[in-house]
Amino acid sequence: MKFARVGAALGAAAIFAAACSSTPSGSGGGGGGGTAIKVGIELPMTGGEAPNGVPTANGVALALSQITVPGFTITVNQQDDAVNGKHDANQGAKNMTTLANDSQVMFVVGPYNSSVAQAEIPVSNAAGLMQCSPANTGVVLTKGDAAKALRKTNPDKIAYVRVATTDDNQGAGTADIAYNTVGAKTAYVLDDTQTYGKGLADGFTDAFTKFGGKVLKRDGVPDSTTDFTSYVTTAKGLTPDIVMYGGVTTSGLGLFRKQMAQAGLANIPFVGGDGVNDGSAATASSFLNIAGPDGDANTYSTVAAIHDIPNPDKFGADYKAKFNSDPGSYSAPAYACTQVFLQALKDVGSGVTDLAQLREKIRAYVADPTKKYDTVLGNFGFDENGDTTQHTISYYQYDSASKDWKFSKQRDFTADPVK
Amino acid sequence: MTTAVQEPSRTARISIDRRWNTPIGVAIALVVAYLLLVIAAGPQAQDQFINALTIGGVYALIALGYTMVYGIIELINFSHGEIFMVGSFVCWWLLTTLGFSGAITDPLVLIPVLVLTFVVSMAVMGVVGVVIERLAYRPLRNAPRLAPLITAIGVSFILQNLVFVGISNSIVTIPQIIPNPELHIGPINIRLINLFVIVLAVSLMFALQMFISRTKLGRAMRSTAIDREAAQIMGVNVNSTIALTFFIGSALAGAAGVVQGLYFGVTVFNIGFQNGLKAFTAAVLGGIGNITGAAIGGFVIGFIEVLASAFGYGRWSEAAVFATLVLVLVFRPTGILGQQLADRA
Repeated sequence: MKFARVGAALGAAAIFAAACSSTPSGSGGGGGGGTAIKVGIELPMTGGEAPNGVPTANGVALALSQITVPGFTITVNQQDDAVNGKHDANQGAKNMTTLANDSQVMFVVGPYNSSVAQAEIPVSNAAGLMQCSPANTGVVLTKGDAAKALRKTNPDKIAYVRVATTDDNQGAGTADIAYNTVGAKTAYVLDDTQTYGKGLADGFTDAFTKFGGKVLKRDGVPDSTTDFTSYVTTAKGLTPDIVMYGGVTTSGLGLFRKQMAQAGLANIPFVGGDGVNDGSAATASSFLNIAGPDGDANTYSTVAAIHDIPNPDKFGADYKAKFNSDPGSYSAPAYACTQVFLQALKDVGSGVTDLAQLREKIRAYVADPTKKYDTVLGNFGFDENGDTTQHTISYYQYDSASKDWKFSKQRDFTADPVK
Repeated sequence: MTTAVQEPSRTARISIDRRWNTPIGVAIALVVAYLLLVIAAGPQAQDQFINALTIGGVYALIALGYTMVYGIIELINFSHGEIFMVGSFVCWWLLTTLGFSGAITDPLVLIPVLVLTFVVSMAVMGVVGVVIERLAYRPLRNAPRLAPLITAIGVSFILQNLVFVGISNSIVTIPQIIPNPELHIGPINIRLINLFVIVLAVSLMFALQMFISRTKLGRAMRSTAIDREAAQIMGVNVNSTIALTFFIGSALAGAAGVVQGLYFGVTVFNIGFQNGLKAFTAAVLGGIGNITGAAIGGFVIGFIEVLASAFGYGRWSEAAVFATLVLVLVFRPTGILGQQLADRA
């Protein structure tokens, strides 16, 4: 009796929890001609992540609507790794399993966040399903022993590539902004204790020191924090020339900047990576939106991808025509990921009807470092780790007239490395 | 023989009235905290002290609801953090509906608006608390303790999801209507909003203490907490007393929600989870069921967090909070002040 009642309550709670955490998954049916296959999209789509995931997924949709491969009908299997409005590594791994179990999925575009990729790479590696991230920048995903541990099922079969460059470069970009654009000699460096944020802040610290700057203090803030006042007070005491914060808006970076402004410290410049480059002040839940007009002043950010793409006007216009908005920072990279897949499909797919065989052929093609791709981002390939050969970081600065990030310049760290 | 000799000397050694133990302990703790902050933050010690008092006040206001409910029906009301969250959304709704977008500089407008915001938010959340008690907890009052506990978690999910689906699934901005000048009171530099939050939190706690210790209804609450059946026999309406407890606890969480809105200027549907957890920790730290203990626990957590950050170990702040909890419970299993209201068998 006692147990029955408790059991009923538990059961009800479990059903409720399950109902709450179910994620939408759309999948299109096969079309008219050719073999029906799918591209998986694995991005955070809801809540505070919408400014990140939606424009990126649109990039895939745009590519699929413009480029066709004869003999194949391609639809999308869309997955969302946001749980309660915030990217979630466990959900990402579950989504990747779902995609791997869908035999029609030949290729996956995503994820957006490095911590999610960390959970997904073992899954895609074991399944031999090639995934291409438009936005991951965490160094540990592809390089060193940590990366080898992620792909331990099939150590020699790369199943993860990315078109965004890594955080050693992006961190150097933020340091370049701090030291050379802002003219800062001293910095207070924070991170959100996540894979991406910590890696980026490490990259900054490294390069900023090489430039000749001094990091006054380095700390981490748990990513669920809303009260940043004690860190703001620390900044007040240190009087750094710049504050660098490695992390994303959903970890509270906008709040941090808002509280800086509230304490009268908006005159201290702020630099972050692509985690804060998530739309204009009018975009709900974006960094600029949360930090507010006072906090937005003197802020800088980067994007780990090329800004001056070969044909920016055409891409922007096509995107606007289809989605009635401007592309996001990672729309073009997502388009490029899709182009990589379509080129592989075109070159190795003809006549292959066995889906498992086709999946492996595409994986092997994309993992091949000798292949080059002519994409919306320009011409590039992937090295033996799966990293793009394009090492360009774009620099942005807040523009008070448009209330948005304004591109200032880009730097190619292959041609022009930090010495 | 031996005992007869020892007895008077032990009494004689306690020279201070026991009533003063807590205030003296608090004063000593504050001095120690300040000295630690001086070591950690140097010239910024005063600012950090104010930061800790402010966030500690928010935690304390939420912790009071946990401890009151536990004191009276021994339920750990896990939905309490969500009451705080909904309270911040009531603040958001009211201020945006009234058309405010920034600081109100005219005190003749500001004060009535502030009073209205607090009254509405506290009243709404109080009623929500009573409704939750009536629908979700009262039917289970005599059920095994696990059942209402899990129901409380369920209620928490319901409130979170209602806001997620119905209002916003991401961060919303709340107009910060209190102007933000830095005041210089003697040697103390404090921003108006911090002063407001600290004074408000302490006044509400003081008022609650007075209510419980001095009024008839407060006495009914205390007697219900000590022995529900006996209180009933003595003519206390137990149901309405428990409802009143939920009303007051939830109203205080509603006030904390407004403070959240005015101080930080943002809220989000899942903000209740983390803050609720910290406040619950505060209640346990202070001695669950003990009102003064909950207030002290809230401030203790505020100070631990700020100290961790001031020493440059911010990434360990949450670990520090829970390590302190473990340490306190190892040496004082009933918390800093001990369980007071619920020390019945």
